[in-house]
Amino acid sequence: MAKQEERPVVRESRGLRKTATTQQTAPDRRWLWLALGVGALVLLALALLFTRGGGGGDLSGVAEYPNQVRDHVNGLVTYEQTPPVGGPHNAAWQNCGIYDQPIASENAVHSLEHGAVWITYDPELSPEDLETLRNHARARPFTLLSPFENLPAPIVLSAWGVQLTVEEPDDPRIADFIRAYRQGPQTPEPGAICTGGIGEPVES
Amino acid sequence: MEQLQSQPTTLRPSSHLPWLRPLLLLVLAGILLALLWNLLPFNRGRADVTFARDMSAHHAQAVDMALILRDRVEDEQLRLFLLDMALTQQTQIGQMQGWLAAWNVPLAGPEPIMGGQGEAMGMASQEQVNSLRHLPVDEAEVLFLQLMIRHHQGGVLMAEDILEQNPRPQVARLAESIIAGQQSEMEYMTSLLQERGAEPLTPLAPMEHGSH
Repeated sequence: MAKQEERPVVRESRGLRKTATTQQTAPDRRWLWLALGVGALVLLALALLFTRGGGGGDLSGVAEYPNQVRDHVNGLVTYEQTPPVGGPHNAAWQNCGIYDQPIASENAVHSLEHGAVWITYDPELSPEDLETLRNHARARPFTLLSPFENLPAPIVLSAWGVQLTVEEPDDPRIADFIRAYRQGPQTPEPGAICTGGIGEPVES
Repeated sequence: MEQLQSQPTTLRPSSHLPWLRPLLLLVLAGILLALLWNLLPFNRGRADVTFARDMSAHHAQAVDMALILRDRVEDEQLRLFLLDMALTQQTQIGQMQGWLAAWNVPLAGPEPIMGGQGEAMGMASQEQVNSLRHLPVDEAEVLFLQLMIRHHQGGVLMAEDILEQNPRPQVARLAESIIAGQQSEMEYMTSLLQERGAEPLTPLAPMEHGSH
């Protein structure tokens, strides 16, 4: 639209210029480059917006423990983190779902290797708080929820090589953690299952 | 116009149609944007992404149930059927996870699967799955067949739903093969139930379109 308004002005001043043709082509070129430039910027913005997979949320409090060993072993294992986030584990993985009793770390770690997020809570947690946690796990395959004695915080979320401690069950970082790591890119064995192992969850 | 074209060195046609070139550029940019918009995983085929995640979870339960029962039964015919079902559905899970990876989206979404309405899609409760391990084998067989017929009804409903939502061609092909495969398995499982003197559960109600 701006161009149409400019046009008469250009015409009037044409007599003062050396050639009319250079005056005519220059604004057209500018339009072309402007359109291309704007188009490229829009595309870049869209690509960045939509290929990131929905945004990461707040993962600033997540502790990372890289290079975990993946050996299968029998018997008890002493882990460096509480609860463990990786390391040697039992050949049987823990079936994903909601448990109301503690589960063995050696089995749970195997599920982490398959892409599970393990939500552990202090057994003293109130029933209301526990229900909030269950809603994070319900209808979300590849989550484990179980009580855990002597936790460093009321709630601890673990995935392979990463961990987050949380004080309150309504902390929004719980959902961020689950979204980022449930079958997430940290998974050493993507495509592995979280059923067909051991354990009978009370809910899933 | 004709006069102008006969004198190309002085004036070009576009100078008399100043809006033409920007307009053409805008149209071109629009077409280009629309094409690229369609390629972006979170736009074209948002429904495809939800379908791939939900159907993967739905299939995973069927595989779980089939393998639990297969570990217990002796009947060769039933064991073969369970193996066939489990391997077919696990392969389809891999196929759908391959799409999700290719579309550059996470395998699991932030929302509960099937909008938290798994039961309406024929999902068995965890309690029912657990009882497949503990019931006497003949009862577990009957329960499995009843639960799996309902599970397949839900799978067919989900596949029919995605076909109404302009799926990508490969998604449509899988949905069609799920409908055909699971319908034929339902007939077979119904005959196995009748051999055992039992009846299917009441059929699932059709889903409300666009419920997720």
